[in-house]
Amino acid sequence: MSRTAKVFGLVFVSLIVVAAFFPGVLAPNNPLAVDPAEAFQTPSLDHPFGTDESGRDVYTRVIHGTADSLTIGISATALGMGIAILLAVVAAFGPRWIDATVLRLLEVLYAIPALLLALLIIAFTGPGTTPAIIAVGLSTAPGYARLIRTQLWTLVNSEMFDAATVLGHSQWQKVRNHLIPNTLSTLLALITLGIGQAVIWASALSFLGLGTPPPAPEWGAMLAHGRTYLHFAWWMTVFPGVAIVIIAAGATLLGRSVTRSSA
Amino acid sequence: MAKTSFSPLKILATAVLSALALAGCSNSTGGGSDQESENPASPEPQTGGTLIYASGDAEPDCLDPHYGGNYPQGLISTQYLETLFTKDEDDEIIPWLAESSEVSDDGLTHTITLTDGITFHDGTKLTAEAIKANIEHLQDPDTASSTGYLAVENVESVELVDELVAELHLSAPDNALEESLSMHWTAIQSPDALSREIPDNCEAPVGTGPFKVDSWERDQQINLVRNENYTLPVDSDRKYDQAYLDGITWRMIPEASTRYSALQSGEVDVIDNAQPDTIQSAEDADIGHLDAPRPGASNRIELNSSQAPFDDPLVREAFIRSVDVDGGLEALFFDTAPRSYSLLSSVEPMQYSDDSLFYQDVDEANALLDEAGWTARDEDGVRVKNGERLEISMPVSTNQSVPAEQSLFEQFQAQAAEVGFDMNIDLLDLSSWYAALGDHDYNLVSAPYTKVGPSVLGILYHSDSIEPAPSGYFANNAQVSDSELDELLDQAEQTTDNTERADLYEQAQQKVLENYYVLPLYDQQNHFLYASDVKGMGDTSAIAAPDYYNVWLDQ
Amino acid sequence: MQLLGWLGRRVGAAAILLWLVATAIFIAIRLIPGDPAEAIMGGPGSQASAEALEAAREQYHLNDPMLVQYGLYLVQLVTGDLGTSYTQHRPVVDVMAEALPATLRLTLVSLLVAWGIAFIMASIAARSNRIGQATGTVIEVVAAAVPHFWLGAMLIIIFSTWLGWLPAVDTGTTIGMILPAITLAIPLSGFLAQIMRDSLVTAMNSPFALAARARGASKGQVFLRHGFRHAALPALNLTGWAVATSMSGAVVVEEVFARPGLGRSLLGAVLSRDMPMVTGIALFSALIYMVVMLLVEAIEALINPAASRGEHQ
Repeated sequence: MSRTAKVFGLVFVSLIVVAAFFPGVLAPNNPLAVDPAEAFQTPSLDHPFGTDESGRDVYTRVIHGTADSLTIGISATALGMGIAILLAVVAAFGPRWIDATVLRLLEVLYAIPALLLALLIIAFTGPGTTPAIIAVGLSTAPGYARLIRTQLWTLVNSEMFDAATVLGHSQWQKVRNHLIPNTLSTLLALITLGIGQAVIWASALSFLGLGTPPPAPEWGAMLAHGRTYLHFAWWMTVFPGVAIVIIAAGATLLGRSVTRSSA
Repeated sequence: MAKTSFSPLKILATAVLSALALAGCSNSTGGGSDQESENPASPEPQTGGTLIYASGDAEPDCLDPHYGGNYPQGLISTQYLETLFTKDEDDEIIPWLAESSEVSDDGLTHTITLTDGITFHDGTKLTAEAIKANIEHLQDPDTASSTGYLAVENVESVELVDELVAELHLSAPDNALEESLSMHWTAIQSPDALSREIPDNCEAPVGTGPFKVDSWERDQQINLVRNENYTLPVDSDRKYDQAYLDGITWRMIPEASTRYSALQSGEVDVIDNAQPDTIQSAEDADIGHLDAPRPGASNRIELNSSQAPFDDPLVREAFIRSVDVDGGLEALFFDTAPRSYSLLSSVEPMQYSDDSLFYQDVDEANALLDEAGWTARDEDGVRVKNGERLEISMPVSTNQSVPAEQSLFEQFQAQAAEVGFDMNIDLLDLSSWYAALGDHDYNLVSAPYTKVGPSVLGILYHSDSIEPAPSGYFANNAQVSDSELDELLDQAEQTTDNTERADLYEQAQQKVLENYYVLPLYDQQNHFLYASDVKGMGDTSAIAAPDYYNVWLDQ
Repeated sequence: MQLLGWLGRRVGAAAILLWLVATAIFIAIRLIPGDPAEAIMGGPGSQASAEALEAAREQYHLNDPMLVQYGLYLVQLVTGDLGTSYTQHRPVVDVMAEALPATLRLTLVSLLVAWGIAFIMASIAARSNRIGQATGTVIEVVAAAVPHFWLGAMLIIIFSTWLGWLPAVDTGTTIGMILPAITLAIPLSGFLAQIMRDSLVTAMNSPFALAARARGASKGQVFLRHGFRHAALPALNLTGWAVATSMSGAVVVEEVFARPGLGRSLLGAVLSRDMPMVTGIALFSALIYMVVMLLVEAIEALINPAASRGEHQ
């Protein structure tokens, strides 16, 4: 990874962190403040991304929406990853029949396309931010679990691990010295990639009216609004979408660089 | 100048509803301003072609408008069912399938004589038996009718006098009965067809209209074809009675901008629920606009007075003072939605309006809330009283509220927050929305109600209407329970004197408005856009649904 | 015969999976608090009439003991009875049969388009210099990061609103399918290209590719003969995943372009909590996924019998 790419990545990550934790620094205004008289302003110096149908500043909303969108993405990934790690560890270390059962269970969940599984879950829970997190989390868990289990399984059956057993290392020592360092980079890469994808799925749910309700500046919900005025207020659709692409693409590139640098 | 009523007198006339009719003329109030003119340049109507209609409404569960009875059902059934009465261009009730009618002096017996020689799509003849069968079908709890059920609530029995004459015996005088029977929710269907199982009748109702239901591809489209045996119930100058169009393809395109794109690109010929911004841009494009405000109630927000915090009139008034209706309408509706200060639509002659009651004044709103005891505020700025937060919820039907209206409510949410309301908007599909109302799980609601005539006031504000209809729907969403008001409404419904009727309804409207049960917004929006090759648009039924009998395609 | 035995085992495994999916759904419906009949009819407050509730109880045998219910439910499934949609008043199977062809067409066309785009992107990137490679990576990653609903909206703005070339609504015509198919294909092609390129680069640097070059074969020949073959296999392996992803994407794309199909039926069913429809479509998409996986494995088994049979755990 080149130096410029690293600098670029660092700046990118810091900007997102600032937008997520201190959105006021980048956009001091209130993302919920309406001003009907200012509706549908084209992008200008006052409103770099224009204003929406209620005169809210799109730039302010996109910046403040970082926290909403990322929170959903991160929570969903954490949930999915948590379940995945649990299942994978149980499968890799448990008796063979547990491994087989978990594998079957994963196949079951994996057999239903992710968004369909998310919709299935929402059909049971009803729409909202929390259901969206649960839906995205649960529907991404099987994929992670399969990957992590394969990785663990390979490691557990590796010579290195056998050698440690022969040397009389305790279970915990083996985990600490071999498993964690060897799986960590994969996990990190998966998590960053996963957050990007989770942001996309969650915004898709909001877009379909099943996720975060208005007036929260969640990007998917903003896009759902923008779509109504696609014909003349293109800026309402373009900018929140660009934000999603930046986060998702950025997360992927970050994830790849994690894999590369540790390889 | 938008024409809002269907009339046999207009059979040859094609209303010119050019885009020019937009901004200035859509302000027309009252039915009397309807105009039409024959376009001298318009060529001879052509026969043939299938019109593609794109609706933004939820796909009906049932094509029989007796079942439930919502506006989308009225909109489509206008093409294949006909009513006993209809409205002419002066918003006067005139007979249609009925040839004439008579009311007894005590107001308890209506005698209806049918037009002779009309047949249903299934070939059976229209006779007085059909009136009986249809009223009984509406009153049968299994039909789960709400709109039609309420419309014929006062009919106790139907007596057949001879083949074409029936007597309707009423439990109480009902001067709105003929208005009620002009609506498609009480349209006349073949008794043979009504005797089928409900799902079968829902699939393909059998009426007398110029089109008939050919097939229904769920989630996709409803195919209507010309009724080759159509007989116009009234005299006309038309060369032949049948419709010009071969058929109508009724598609569902729920998304507003997609619908407009489809119209622009010529994939569809007519769209409904046109978004205000597209109505404005249609002016520049070669796209026609039909503005047909619905009769009955205006579009309004009702404040549920049966539970806290809106059981307190001060809090109701405070909410109304806190929001800016005019600013929102201007920004979101581009002059397509003139402000209303009334409970009734501008096409209702007995509309009473009071613009002195409804304005925004944040200071006044704050003072009112202080006076009502909501003096403290929590860290979020929400007012608190006795440990209770000032929370209000508003279920919004995404099927009934166009996006511009949803945005308007979002603005209200932000504005109400400034004076200390924590307003929660729930965007729901139609059935969940009905469920929320059924559970009394709301403080604010915007529920459209279309009914011909001022008697809609009785349905919306009489305490009897807190009781649900067989479908489970109750119409008194503000849950107004006021015995004086009930009495005014009862008298207004029964009087045989028209001046007295108007006077009583005015008093009733005053009472509801002055107690801040309702925040009127604008006339119920009913905007249609159509491609330039669609000719003869403009006829509408009594409920302001476009009628395609006179429409033809200039191919 | 060996192949038949293998096929038998895989079909058996798929059947077990379906049974598990069905069981999971059966349990989930009964885990919803309240009356399961009401849950089936759209949840509490859906104003289902007493008769409708009784009919649902009858149909789902809710008055019987749980085990009997379960048994009857499985029997119904085996005979292809997925219940009746309460919003549409007709068998779920009929609704799906009507909606499926449109979704399958869209999914297949966009899979092909995605493969095409991915192959072009990967082969250009694999043969370029470092800067070209980096640019390729960014393009692939961005393509993979574009949400369908946004991409669809952008394409509508450009090709329908501004240029007026293509319809914004898909009425089932060939021309109407262009935008939806591209919308569905682009993010997928981004994923596929990333995977294909990695294997292409590996293949081009493999000993036999280098040996072929040494024997005097042109770069292009080697690329086609060795590189592509090696790149295709791992990507083929992803077909099952790609189909599943496309089915997810189809929900959004069908909604954006008002295109009738399975995804839109599902969305409508979820919005109105039409449980028979929701679970029917979920079961059915699981079935599709498994059929695709079976086909992929069968193709792999035909291409490379030894490798594929040993590997399955």
